[in-house]
Amino acid sequence: MIQGIFYARFFPQEGPQIVAQSPPGCITTSSDTTLPPRPPLIDFDILREYIIPRQAFCNRYLTINSPDNKYAILGHPVVIPHAKYMRNEFIFNFGLILDVDVDQVPYERVVRRLATTFSEMEKQNEYLSQTEGRADESNGRRPIEGLLEIVKEDLNNYGECMIPVDEANTLNMKLFPHHPNPPVVKGWHVPVSKTKFADIMDPTWDLTLQKVISHIDGVSDVRRIAHAASVSLDLAKTALRHLLYYDTILLLDMFFFGACYASRPGIHDFVSNVDGMVEECAGYVSHAGRRPSNFHLIRLMTSFVPGKTVLEWLWAHHEAGFEVLRYIDVRRFVQFGLIKGCLYRVHKHVVSKQYLAGLATGQSRPVEGADPIQQYTDGCHHFDQIITEQDLTDEEIMNKLKTLPVPKGDLALFYR
Amino acid sequence: MSSVNSDNFLAVALVINRSRDGPAFVFHYPAQVQHNATDTGAGADLEDILLERLVQPANHNPSVANEQLPRQWDRDEHIVTDSGSQIVPWEHVAGFPARDLAGMLTPARPYHKTLFQLSLDPLYCVSYPIHVPENGKWKKQKKSGKGNDGDKASTVMDDHGVSNEADLSSGKLSDNSKDKDSKKDGDEDEKRSSMTMFNLVFILRPKTHEVKELVDSLYVNVVKKANKAYKYSQQQSDFIWKESKRILAAKDKAREEQRKMSSLWKEILQISSLAASMQEIYTAVSQNKIAALHLDTPLGILTPSFQIPVPFYVADIPEDSGRDQSGLWLTTANAFLSQDTLEEPGFLDRNFALLLMDDEKKIIAELQSDADPSTASMVEFVRLSKPTMSFHQVAQSNILTLSQVRRFAQHFIYWRRAIAIPPLHARDVYIVSPNCDPRRLPQDSVEWQRLFPVAPPLPNFLGELSQSPRPYKHFCPSKAHRPSYLHMLAWLMRRGWVTQLCTYAYVVVWPEIIYEVDYEMEAEDLAAASTSSLEQAKPPTIVEEHEHPLSPTSTIDTAQQQQQQQQPSSPPANPSSTEHVAERARLERIATKAHHRATERAITHARKTPPQPTPHPSLNDAPHLKGLTPHIILDAKKATGKEARYLSAIGKRFTDDRGKQAWQLFCKYFDGRCALERVALQEDMKRKEVWNLLTHMTEYVLCTRHW
Repeated sequence: MIQGIFYARFFPQEGPQIVAQSPPGCITTSSDTTLPPRPPLIDFDILREYIIPRQAFCNRYLTINSPDNKYAILGHPVVIPHAKYMRNEFIFNFGLILDVDVDQVPYERVVRRLATTFSEMEKQNEYLSQTEGRADESNGRRPIEGLLEIVKEDLNNYGECMIPVDEANTLNMKLFPHHPNPPVVKGWHVPVSKTKFADIMDPTWDLTLQKVISHIDGVSDVRRIAHAASVSLDLAKTALRHLLYYDTILLLDMFFFGACYASRPGIHDFVSNVDGMVEECAGYVSHAGRRPSNFHLIRLMTSFVPGKTVLEWLWAHHEAGFEVLRYIDVRRFVQFGLIKGCLYRVHKHVVSKQYLAGLATGQSRPVEGADPIQQYTDGCHHFDQIITEQDLTDEEIMNKLKTLPVPKGDLALFYR
Repeated sequence: MSSVNSDNFLAVALVINRSRDGPAFVFHYPAQVQHNATDTGAGADLEDILLERLVQPANHNPSVANEQLPRQWDRDEHIVTDSGSQIVPWEHVAGFPARDLAGMLTPARPYHKTLFQLSLDPLYCVSYPIHVPENGKWKKQKKSGKGNDGDKASTVMDDHGVSNEADLSSGKLSDNSKDKDSKKDGDEDEKRSSMTMFNLVFILRPKTHEVKELVDSLYVNVVKKANKAYKYSQQQSDFIWKESKRILAAKDKAREEQRKMSSLWKEILQISSLAASMQEIYTAVSQNKIAALHLDTPLGILTPSFQIPVPFYVADIPEDSGRDQSGLWLTTANAFLSQDTLEEPGFLDRNFALLLMDDEKKIIAELQSDADPSTASMVEFVRLSKPTMSFHQVAQSNILTLSQVRRFAQHFIYWRRAIAIPPLHARDVYIVSPNCDPRRLPQDSVEWQRLFPVAPPLPNFLGELSQSPRPYKHFCPSKAHRPSYLHMLAWLMRRGWVTQLCTYAYVVVWPEIIYEVDYEMEAEDLAAASTSSLEQAKPPTIVEEHEHPLSPTSTIDTAQQQQQQQQPSSPPANPSSTEHVAERARLERIATKAHHRATERAITHARKTPPQPTPHPSLNDAPHLKGLTPHIILDAKKATGKEARYLSAIGKRFTDDRGKQAWQLFCKYFDGRCALERVALQEDMKRKEVWNLLTHMTEYVLCTRHW
């Protein structure tokens, strides 16, 4: 929320002054005596040197907090040097007052836009310097005060504004939220859509994006998607990263019955059924008609433990007399646990001590021209990566590892 | 938390304001503030930036000295321009003229001791400005009656009777006395400090998304503390002002001599402990270390220290957010603590032990190199503390008191020489931490081999630990190896390779128990209802009750009951009024109806299968339990009402007294937050015994395991 918006200017005689402000009186006492006097939001006397600063600090985005740390003042002081002005320069600033805890990033470009537009207009037809002393609308112009009020109201209410200032200039502004850069997409990730793409996608979308989206099914990994969509792997990754930026997909890893999952602290939310999580899970995982009780779902979810594969987990429940497969889709069940942060995947890694020793002494490639598998034996790469990058199954990798030319007992597997 | 580093923390600068000469830029460190001017407006539109660039050249202002600077300038030597003016390298800081910057960074009094945050795209200046008290004197006034040393200020203080000395802020003090103070003494002006304020400014260049986090953590942990420490030294001995004068004088002289900036900076850092302290602040904080200042004031050496605390654990696997937290100890031992448990006396002492982050000998050597009165007991503490012993146990050795143990532990943790962990135990289960950092594997393998030459190689040992979780002692070939294996475990813990796999439990109430409690409650309800209906029907005389003694559980004959209902109407009431009769009839009808309902309930209750306790309620699939699903009690400690009854009903199922007692005692740990592994520590019981007792309860608890 913009709490206040202002136009300040440097006058050769009076020094820095607020020329226009909205709401009236938000910085300096308003000349309009019909309004009840309100205390200003900020003390202009203290902040004037930051609103109209020394020249060295002009023509840049400048923000400062108020001494009570309640408001932030965002401005972009502009100096236009020209012989026609008294003292050979014209200095002004269009600024915003925000609550100090509001994210300032979306407003930065608003401030920059106000500065560039008005400095351009001043240079074109002395828009700012000519209106001085003539608050009336004799030349058909809007008074700046009114303009500022519309900008503030529109941005506060609609997050954007489109205001014609004169015949030639329009103020087009929009508040864009700031999204952090999404993580890098890897070949072994499995994208799961969070939105119904069919509803929002239209033929104008990027072709690669369209192809990639049509293959997102919550099961296929990125490598498969790229292959199925006849798109290069790198392009597919870029496309998916784009979707990730807009928070329309999330990334999981490949599901195998031989893989191992274990609970993490988020499991307690599942047990306590926070936000009806268990019902949501039941809806997501049940086969038509048969819904296992909440208790059963909780018991299943809490029983994942490191060192036990999904298959072993199924067997354990089978022996306890509960036929998991008859009630639920295990893959969806595990996915649900992963998405909600109840479970994590325990990855399998392989380490060659010989290779490690080479790394420790600085030789990153101890054996030249060795098997491509060797580069994965430093413990930093899990099997999913080898599977997707080398197009091998778990079993094939294990066989390949056996044929690696390393001393006996050199390889060790660990899970984490 | 975004970490502070030399990419986003560019420099520290000291700026002062003087009553006659105005603001001055005293010193900044490092000498060259790395700042890429082309990097403007990271958050803005490309379009807007282009537009701005187009606008810029027209704004070109020849008076801005910056623009005159030659492109190829190493910013170390002085330059004399064609017009004869001298460009001094230190008079431009981060692309701004130092004089102008000094003006901007000396904010007015309202910013006294509060956050001052100024962004000059792309820089961020954060500080905590300190103004002179309004009486113009930095020196803190002596408390009245505390021995008057003839200082005029203290006489003035006495006159006004202001004596809230305890408050460190002299600003407050002087507020009260300023008016009269200034009127009274004209010659006081002589003593007024010519330095009216100082401001140690932290110059940052945060990334768009990290501004708030970075400013907050730096402000709270460093900016505020550094400025306060400087303020103290200024109050005590006019330190900041005196040092500033020396630095400014050195700069003036160097200006005349056209000395290179690098050589001047070297000299200043040598002659001024204030400048050296700024160097220490910058170097330590930008590397996320502890800044230990050394201010050589006339009244002695001040050694304040501060740091941005580094997290030593994470409670859950960090999301891949670019921030590198891998290698940190993964645990919920701290995160799961509720306020209740924290307030419980002795909880922390029993549940935590000290894990040194470095070699014991090295730490002892460090302690002895800087000896003070407590060194001996601290060395003793280092020797006594083992990662397998809780603080409580260390204190029981009777060599150190518990408060000493706590104080020393805090000291070591603050100085990042140790962390507090739940005591290690060979019976506990440890797994390879999902948050371990495999990139450390090559170096750590070498280190491991050096420290534990006879142990299996690190990758193999990690493999064994992660294959299937088992109590740690199973990996130990014999009992004789136990101590060295615990050393290995401590090392793995310290390096973040392993974490404890704990068990968390909730109470499960099986249908059999639910049915039993429901049945009992219904019976009690009926009994209560029949007694109360009796009481309602009871005439004012007590005799009646004796005539119809009904046991509360017996089914009541309807006829008998009706008879009873009619009886009270006969003697005392007034029979003449018809209204009365109607009213009475109505009441009777209601009573009969209620009675019918009660009877019906009683009959259904009587028809129900009476609860049959079986030895294994979890397996009981009797037909009358159909439709009941097991119930989970989320926090047995806070169970009330029905859940409390479930708990006691379960308690009755234990055949032996020991089991019954244990159920009562242990129930409070079944809340999904207390690791069952730590019950023994908390209850001061034998681990084996606790484990046996818990094993007997498995039927009634739902367990889940994580760190």
